[in-house]
Amino acid sequence: MLDARHILIEADLCRDCQACTLACSLFHHGECSLELARLRVNKDLAQHKVEINLCRQCDYPDCIAACPNAALRYDEHGRVRLFEEECLQCGACAGACRFHAIFYNANLGMYLKCDLCAGRPGGPACTELCPVGALTLIMEEG
Amino acid sequence: MTLIGTSQHGWAGKILLVDLTAGEINQRQTAPYAKDYLGGRGLAARIAWDEIPASADRGKTRDAFDPENRITIATGPLTGTLSPTGGRTIMTALSPRTYPLTWYTHSTLGGWFGPELKYAGFDAVVISGKADAPVYLEIMDGEARLKDASDLWGLDTNRTQLRLKERLDPKAQVLAIGPAGENLVRFATVQHAEENAAGHSGFGAVWGSKRLKAIAVRGTGSVSVAYPVDLLSEVTRYGVFKTVPVGGALEGSGAHQRRPVCSQACTFNCLVSSYEETADGRLVPGQCVGSYLMAIRGNQNQMRATYYKGGGVEVPAGRSFGLCEEITLKEGCNQLGLDLWHRLVMQPWLVACQQRGIHKIRGFPIAPTDVFWYEAFQRQLAYRQGLGDLLAEGLRRAMDTLEGELPADLIDLGRQLEFGFGFPAHREGRFWDEEPLPFWVISAMMYASESRDPTIGTHQSSLLLADLVLEDRELARRQFRIVSRKTWGYEEALEPTFENKAPVAIWSQNMHMLIDSLPLCDFAFPQVVRPFKNRTDWQASEDISGDLEIDRRMLRAVTGIDYSREELTRIAERSFTLERALLARAGRSRKLEETLAPHFQLPCRVDGTLIDARGFSGLLDEYYTARGWDLELGWPKDEVLKVLGLPEVATELRQRRAEWKSF
Repeated sequence: MLDARHILIEADLCRDCQACTLACSLFHHGECSLELARLRVNKDLAQHKVEINLCRQCDYPDCIAACPNAALRYDEHGRVRLFEEECLQCGACAGACRFHAIFYNANLGMYLKCDLCAGRPGGPACTELCPVGALTLIMEEG
Repeated sequence: MTLIGTSQHGWAGKILLVDLTAGEINQRQTAPYAKDYLGGRGLAARIAWDEIPASADRGKTRDAFDPENRITIATGPLTGTLSPTGGRTIMTALSPRTYPLTWYTHSTLGGWFGPELKYAGFDAVVISGKADAPVYLEIMDGEARLKDASDLWGLDTNRTQLRLKERLDPKAQVLAIGPAGENLVRFATVQHAEENAAGHSGFGAVWGSKRLKAIAVRGTGSVSVAYPVDLLSEVTRYGVFKTVPVGGALEGSGAHQRRPVCSQACTFNCLVSSYEETADGRLVPGQCVGSYLMAIRGNQNQMRATYYKGGGVEVPAGRSFGLCEEITLKEGCNQLGLDLWHRLVMQPWLVACQQRGIHKIRGFPIAPTDVFWYEAFQRQLAYRQGLGDLLAEGLRRAMDTLEGELPADLIDLGRQLEFGFGFPAHREGRFWDEEPLPFWVISAMMYASESRDPTIGTHQSSLLLADLVLEDRELARRQFRIVSRKTWGYEEALEPTFENKAPVAIWSQNMHMLIDSLPLCDFAFPQVVRPFKNRTDWQASEDISGDLEIDRRMLRAVTGIDYSREELTRIAERSFTLERALLARAGRSRKLEETLAPHFQLPCRVDGTLIDARGFSGLLDEYYTARGWDLELGWPKDEVLKVLGLPEVATELRQRRAEWKSF
């Protein structure tokens, strides 16, 4: 069976439309918000350069190693997941992630991390919507 | 079903009211406006009607720089959601650009400001009064305060944005004016990000007159969506990287090159956007006219397109400079806060002066084809120095000042170039876009009945279809009969004739009002014709009709309210009619609208068609009648206002009619 393993990021192609973040928050929270998304797209106005912070599904995830409560672990599909109900909100994972891809949302009082849209039949919403190929879903044998 | 206007979804729910004179900030509910006007341009028209006082001086209009003028910055229910192109923002006020009278008008801009405003909890901001000293407005998650802007006054729009982002939050979104707005240039912009601007209506100068330098907003909230799954599937189905149906979309190559977006959530491949790279490797986005000015390929002189000759009028070709030079000029314009469109009328007019052997105006040398001179000229416009001070009034007003000093044909040329009540010619079939019959007739009706260059918001609703006629006249005619029957209910709607075009003009205006109120982008909506894969796809099709219900489905998905098409049209008509009543209040009437006739007596640049004064008057008769406006003044009749639920407007117009007759 083919399984989604990670999202390839090409920030140079991004044009800051935020469709990915809006689709992410819409799928996960039923609202459109840049802060409820599990990825961030930041444009530097001075340089017209875009940076995308999104989980890389690392082979040796620092976040899993950092979590004192094992709230971060692989799921049955091999995805690195943050199981929110088990999260102690210590922030160790966010601090450990070298890609700055785990976010604290003060309004919800919880940490947010990409789960590759677990449970969504079409796979991740962001890769489906990204109009310019800045985010591409890479499938691997699972 | 949720009652209209009471939805918890879509709208943020509050409007921010800022009185600069008193330094006071208040809030009010959005719901009463949402019910009858949705948001954006419709909501702003209601606020303007209720709150910008008419001049107490009978027969005089209130000046745009009067502290009683109000700037409304408004979003709509789709702003901040995933709805493609919904990131747009609407700005309205009495405009310093409109000629010969001051009246209320609107501008829209793309970008990321509107969404951020909603995430901060507000649908709109209304600004009145005048500050004692320069201020900026800071909005942060439901809280707003006025702050001293003395250190920002004088800065360009880019530096102002960067400084406020540094001060407040790197993720803050900023609207700012530059030196042109501070110095009350009549075509000064309000800028945002690199290239977005409320550009055409001179609102930068209104900000300047109020000593408002900038608005910075940061919001960490969200926009609630009633049916998330529906919205996501709607956008996936229709929104992702489809080339907007017309406007160069038949050009296979280039359609998929990398392009910037001009508003949040735009997932389209828009052919009016492009990137160019500077010599030092920076990527510069350009949109619409900005993209056009940068589009220098090889030795191609893009500005040559301004050349027109016909009916005794000759507009010289402008002159494009090199790519690096054009980028510098364009960025300079944005940073100074000048409408980029000024180049398209001022450069050809100055070239015409040179061709007539005039090398100085009022003692100031002119050299419009010299890039160094032109760059200095842009600065002089923004700082109102030398010749710039005169032309900062706009070409149209400057002609009144120079009358008698320059040959009459040059004065006439200047007036023709900004024939549309002080706005540069655009999609009128003569000086600028290639608009064959019947498209320029539709444009002419819109010019006559609206407050500003109207065609800028109706690209997709009818005008860009002209491109298909220019490609293959017979094929387009066949296809248009099917599209016309489905869209307007009769096959002849787009036949190349002068008759029965009012329904298309009115439909386009209503759709424009609707997309400015939701809001959406007029390059992508309404989808009159479907996107084409390529030229062959277009050529092989008989029925090219698009999907005209995308907006309605997205609105339902976001708000949970199942508006019917009839309800949406009624809302758009109400808002448009209210804008017309605002024009009536400012003294606009048929007599003034008849003054546009000479422009349409010039032959169309692609097919040579034209209309005489009597024919133009006939177009007005047809249009006013179809709208339910009287034929004498062109004002909405009592019964139309009552049907639209505007009895209080009817009362005021009745009174004004009586005054008008007693003059």
